[in-house]
Amino acid sequence: MPDARMEPFRPDAVTDVTDVLCPLTFVRAVAALDELEEGQILEIRLNDGEAARNVPLSLKDEGHQVLRLTDNGDGTCSLLVRKLEN
Amino acid sequence: MILIVAGNPKEYPDDLNLTRLIELEKVETPIYVTVALNDSFVESGGFESTALKDGDRVEFLYFMGGGR
Amino acid sequence: MSFSGEQLARYSRHIILKGFGLRGQKRLSRGSVLIVGAGGLGSPAALYLAAAGVGRIGIIDADEVDLSNLQRQIIHGTADLGKPKADSARASMLAVNPEIEVRAIRAFADAGNIMELIRDYDFIIDGTDNFPAKFLINDACVLAGKAFSHAGILRFNGQLLTYVPGEGPCYRCLFKNPPPPEAVPTCRQAGVIGALAGVVGSLQAMEAVKYLAGTGGLLTGRLLTYDALKTSFRGIDLPRRADCPVCGEHPSITAPVDYTPAACDFR
Repeated sequence: MPDARMEPFRPDAVTDVTDVLCPLTFVRAVAALDELEEGQILEIRLNDGEAARNVPLSLKDEGHQVLRLTDNGDGTCSLLVRKLEN
Repeated sequence: MILIVAGNPKEYPDDLNLTRLIELEKVETPIYVTVALNDSFVESGGFESTALKDGDRVEFLYFMGGGR
Repeated sequence: MSFSGEQLARYSRHIILKGFGLRGQKRLSRGSVLIVGAGGLGSPAALYLAAAGVGRIGIIDADEVDLSNLQRQIIHGTADLGKPKADSARASMLAVNPEIEVRAIRAFADAGNIMELIRDYDFIIDGTDNFPAKFLINDACVLAGKAFSHAGILRFNGQLLTYVPGEGPCYRCLFKNPPPPEAVPTCRQAGVIGALAGVVGSLQAMEAVKYLAGTGGLLTGRLLTYDALKTSFRGIDLPRRADCPVCGEHPSITAPVDYTPAACDFR
């Protein structure tokens, strides 16, 4: 059976927050999600460590659906989030 | 009787009207004070005829004109 | 409307705030506030609203900055002595946040201009120091259906009430008419601690922020009193007066009125 987490989600937009620190990572992710329609998917590139730990939790707390966090192996991660209105 | 004046419950003599309470409380410039009794306003001409009873809540509203 | 990276950084502490967020910030940016009086109350209110990113702020004052103002009017500095307060305030606000629009109005509000002045603003802050102005702002806001924040300070005490059309009493429900000139002391005669103006003016800014952002409850139907000596805040629930001459069922005031200010209010 294929792993559901490996389902190939197609991001509707991509944003890179590797150039900023928390909480700006989250702020920029929120602003990028704001540009999308409900149900669309955002891919966020963020740094390992604090950002990779905090941003998924904070976005989930905002009511969005965190789909997947993958380690890019270069000190960054890619986070897939589905925009949900709340 | 107990009256709650500006939020503070306190013992007062019975047979008190608003005019007398204003004197007891040493309210500054009483003719310019608005009185609220149990959440309704008392007309300024009606202080003398407003008898207070146990448990009444009285608020004095003062003009504050400053700001600059 | 979307924010630049710099704006996102500037407003990040609003945006990360749950219950406020990007939505609240956008509403602030689209909102407008008129601050009447660039003095003790108006100083903190104007600085906080500018910093918060309220999109358009008007500040009206006809006076010039005087040395005796600087003990509490923190929007002005020593280098501003003699400058029009409205201009000095505008410069300070834009120094904090150049991303907003600030209109400096060098005038006194009166019955002839008040309706025009408030027309283009969502929320009005009364930061004036005399009763004629406070009643004028109240009446104009009630007549125009505008929300506003009333505040007054005296010695060590302050009071605050927010009026929103259809919700709770207006200032004239509480006080039917201005007291005669000289009957009640004003700050000029009675003195005031600078930080008191800071506390109360900041509360006015908070009311404006909540009103614009649509967050939380406002100080409608309740007079908040602050006693600085006791460090005590009290909210006094108050009703509307059905017979209020301006917001009541059969209003007798249908246009703004000029009252004569106390002699000491002229300089």
